[in-house]
Amino acid sequence: MEGEHGTSDVKFLIGRNAGKSAVIAAFIATHVATMAGLWFDGARLPKFDFNNLNGYLVLGLSYGFANPAINFVVGGVIHYTSGIIWGVIFALIFHPALGRFVKPLHALTPVNNFIKGVIWGAVLWIISSAFWMPLLIGPLFQPINVGVGPFLTSFGPYGIQALFTNLFWHTIYGVNLGLLFSPTPAGGSRGTWRSSSGVGVR
Amino acid sequence: MEMKAPLVAAGIFLLGLVLLAVGALIEPPRPQISQSGESLIALGLTFIVVGVGFFLAWANPTA
Repeated sequence: MEGEHGTSDVKFLIGRNAGKSAVIAAFIATHVATMAGLWFDGARLPKFDFNNLNGYLVLGLSYGFANPAINFVVGGVIHYTSGIIWGVIFALIFHPALGRFVKPLHALTPVNNFIKGVIWGAVLWIISSAFWMPLLIGPLFQPINVGVGPFLTSFGPYGIQALFTNLFWHTIYGVNLGLLFSPTPAGGSRGTWRSSSGVGVR
Repeated sequence: MEMKAPLVAAGIFLLGLVLLAVGALIEPPRPQISQSGESLIALGLTFIVVGVGFFLAWANPTA
């Protein structure tokens, strides 16, 4: 970690170390993406309500339908926790590893950090579409005749647009995570965001 | 990469705008849905978000 995300030679846009920065950045990214998913219907896209989907998974469909508020809150806690944990995995494992194996992404610059976040969003999109939705949500919704299909290609009345909308959701997450979790060398000669604006979040 | 970033961001953003516009034109009025139209809208918005994010990352003064 030292040299990549060590606290001595790297500064962060949020927080003073990689862990704290990751937790805060991941929470914001999760919240922005979650809220956007609830508004997708306004853009003629399938609504992505991961709070309720997680609630149905742990509480069951019948309890979730009977108690929608409880289902939303319980599912939301699980969903946000998952989003933060995936963000910490990104920040502490994926981000430095990608910088080591992909030489053009080695330098700790905001652009490289952003690209890594977008790649992480795509990775989570594949995990969500290939495993989480078909293997967990599909069987859960089978009793009410709502299918998911392989790789999220037939989610309820929707076809492949659900797959691309899921990509949109995870891209929003990855973009925000990559922009907010942004370690850069501490010894830069140019003015930093914190020193130039004076409003750095610690 | 850093020097080309604004051009890459603009290209991605424009591609997203085109896809979004085509998707919006294809999409029929509610309650009908079009698989192609909504797919293009989703892809267009995805590219727009990436393009805007790319530009913001490049414009970050910590670079």
